[in-house]
Amino acid sequence: MRIALAGNPNSGKTTMYNSLTGRSEKVGNWAGVTVDKKEHLIKKSLGGDTPIIAVDLPGAYSMSPFTAEESIASAYVKGENPDAIINIVDATNLSRSLFFTTQLLELGIPVVVALNKADINSAKGTHIDAELLSAALGCPVIQTVSTTGAGLDKVISAVVSLMGKGQKAPYVQDDIDLSHKASVIEADKKRFAFVNSIVEKAESRKVLTKDRNFQDKIDDILTSRWFGIPIFAAVMFLVFQISQVWVGPYVADTLVAWLEGFQGWAAGLMEGADPFLSALLIDGMIGGAIAVIGFLPLVMVMYFLIALLEDSGYMARVTVVLDPIFKKVGLSGKSVIPFVIAIGCAIPGVMASRTIKNQRERRAAAMLAPFMPCGAKIPVIALFAGAFFDNAGWVSFVMYSLGIVLIFLGALLVNRVAGHKVRKTFFIMELPEYKAPSLWRAFKSMCSRGWAYVVKAATIILLCNTAVQIMQAFDWGFRLAESADSSILASLAGPFAYLLVPIVGVLSWQLAAAAITGFIAKENVVGTLAVCFAGLNNLIDTEELAMLEGTGTEIAGVMAITKAAALAYLMFNLYTPPCFAAIGAMNSEMKSSRWLWGGIGLQFGVGYTVAFMVYQAGTFIATGSVGAGFLPGLMAILAITAAVLYFIRKADRGIKSEYALSGAAA
Amino acid sequence: MHMTLLNAHEGIEYRIRAVDTGDEEMDSFLFSLGCYPGEPITVVSHLKGSCVVSIKDGRYTIDRALADTVAVA
Repeated sequence: MRIALAGNPNSGKTTMYNSLTGRSEKVGNWAGVTVDKKEHLIKKSLGGDTPIIAVDLPGAYSMSPFTAEESIASAYVKGENPDAIINIVDATNLSRSLFFTTQLLELGIPVVVALNKADINSAKGTHIDAELLSAALGCPVIQTVSTTGAGLDKVISAVVSLMGKGQKAPYVQDDIDLSHKASVIEADKKRFAFVNSIVEKAESRKVLTKDRNFQDKIDDILTSRWFGIPIFAAVMFLVFQISQVWVGPYVADTLVAWLEGFQGWAAGLMEGADPFLSALLIDGMIGGAIAVIGFLPLVMVMYFLIALLEDSGYMARVTVVLDPIFKKVGLSGKSVIPFVIAIGCAIPGVMASRTIKNQRERRAAAMLAPFMPCGAKIPVIALFAGAFFDNAGWVSFVMYSLGIVLIFLGALLVNRVAGHKVRKTFFIMELPEYKAPSLWRAFKSMCSRGWAYVVKAATIILLCNTAVQIMQAFDWGFRLAESADSSILASLAGPFAYLLVPIVGVLSWQLAAAAITGFIAKENVVGTLAVCFAGLNNLIDTEELAMLEGTGTEIAGVMAITKAAALAYLMFNLYTPPCFAAIGAMNSEMKSSRWLWGGIGLQFGVGYTVAFMVYQAGTFIATGSVGAGFLPGLMAILAITAAVLYFIRKADRGIKSEYALSGAAA
Repeated sequence: MHMTLLNAHEGIEYRIRAVDTGDEEMDSFLFSLGCYPGEPITVVSHLKGSCVVSIKDGRYTIDRALADTVAVA
């Protein structure tokens, strides 16, 4: 049997789903975390022998959807005939939640109301008479706390006992013409009146929501005119500083030492074996994977910190703080959430754009979110920061800041190209109550995302490294290549290397190969470089995450590029199109091949232009003359600019003719 | 004087007189939150570019453009 979890946004559906099923789906303390349906068998300890599948749905305020993710909930409960519905009701906002409840009760499907956040209510002295509520609604009402799992067993047994029975609705809407707007509003008002009459009887409050409370004072500071943005910047800086400078590297040292022990042990086993096989296994497969996994602690610490932020309720405040700025570039505070989530991974970041109502804004957010360097890009940043810049903290900070700048500029560009017309858009965001973030939940979130990182390194990355190693070892006749330069890989990546000359100043098929495998997964940039530059491989794998210990110059030597080129190449990898998986996510959110290709084109153009400017300007400052490939690169940039200008003019003409038409019509 | 949430005083409970955003879906979204004529609403604080309101038992932040579409008395 199948039970649907439905309710208002941020009422705790996914938290309850995780408790019921033992999964660790993403949760957060703001409205609209879940944007897609998820289902899984619930734990045996709760469901007994009956196999019960719980279906987690995005939150909705009513059966008539406002945004794309809200429509998933109403479409599911109306169309997919779940056997029962658990209606998660935010007990701290009963009067709003029950509107949706009464609509769910009309479907004829057995409903169990989980009166969630019971703990917050008792702390505030709000009392809800569950028995009275149950009698008034005609369905079981059970107090729950989904963060601790309290009451869940009762909810499930109530669901099981209702199986196969129907549901009587306590309030049935009059037979009205649904296409007539005024009568729909009248009917909805009556429904709210019915809800209000129940709430009045069932609920008693000590603290009135409309009164200012301590949390409002915190809000005043966090969202204040002068401190809002500096506080946000400081919080993000701390996240990066802790994960990538203060804590992450120390844990990484231990891990890398341990991994090297393993590699040495494996190398010992391979002693006397075919040198090619041993190189393939030890340097290619294991070495490449270690190069990536070595950065795991940095990534995990960051996941932990971001999970704390998401749990606290601060995210909703960030949207408020940044809304005025984002409005200036045609976006709104809503798009902040995709951008912040993209710091962890671009895929959920892109998907989070679904909560944005305005289509142009939604598509723009989906194509711009990947400019935020994601977790998979951390190894790349850390490798280059270590190899060329003595592991300076500013490298990582600059990469994230530049990502934000590019999002702004990109948004402006999207507006011009998409023909943005000045029109009213509204911003509304629910401010959830702050809560002390749960360390345990952040730890679990960190582990599950860290595990996903390891799995990726052990599958896709390992596979790519192996393929790269083999392609690098053989020539087209499948003989062992005399030198790597005559290998399959060199001839495949060679042509692309020419494109990179204006960025790195040298013709290097290795760098081209790494950039290309980076489109499969960004960690590949590190893995492929490790495999391609045999010497580099050894450097990364020395005892203490070598780069921290000043071997930096040596890696730079193996790669044979200058600091300016390294910075440019790093930026190229960060700001060009993300991995294929993220492009797939962009495709499903944009639902338009024109927008998708526009987005990919924008990312290529931006990545190339930024890298070109950084390399050429950097080289000019350092040596007094521009770097190699200046002219061809400049021509490429001019071509990109011309293309952009063409599209802008086309869009302008489109708007003009539209205005002319509407003018003529009026 | 025509009074909207924009020039409403903080901490005073008003009655909503009218909601007209010019966007039907937005109107009905606000409705589902409990923001419709006849209902109480309180501005908790005015911020730069937006204000925080209390509707039913929820807190929301709405921008000035939206605040201006909710007439209160």
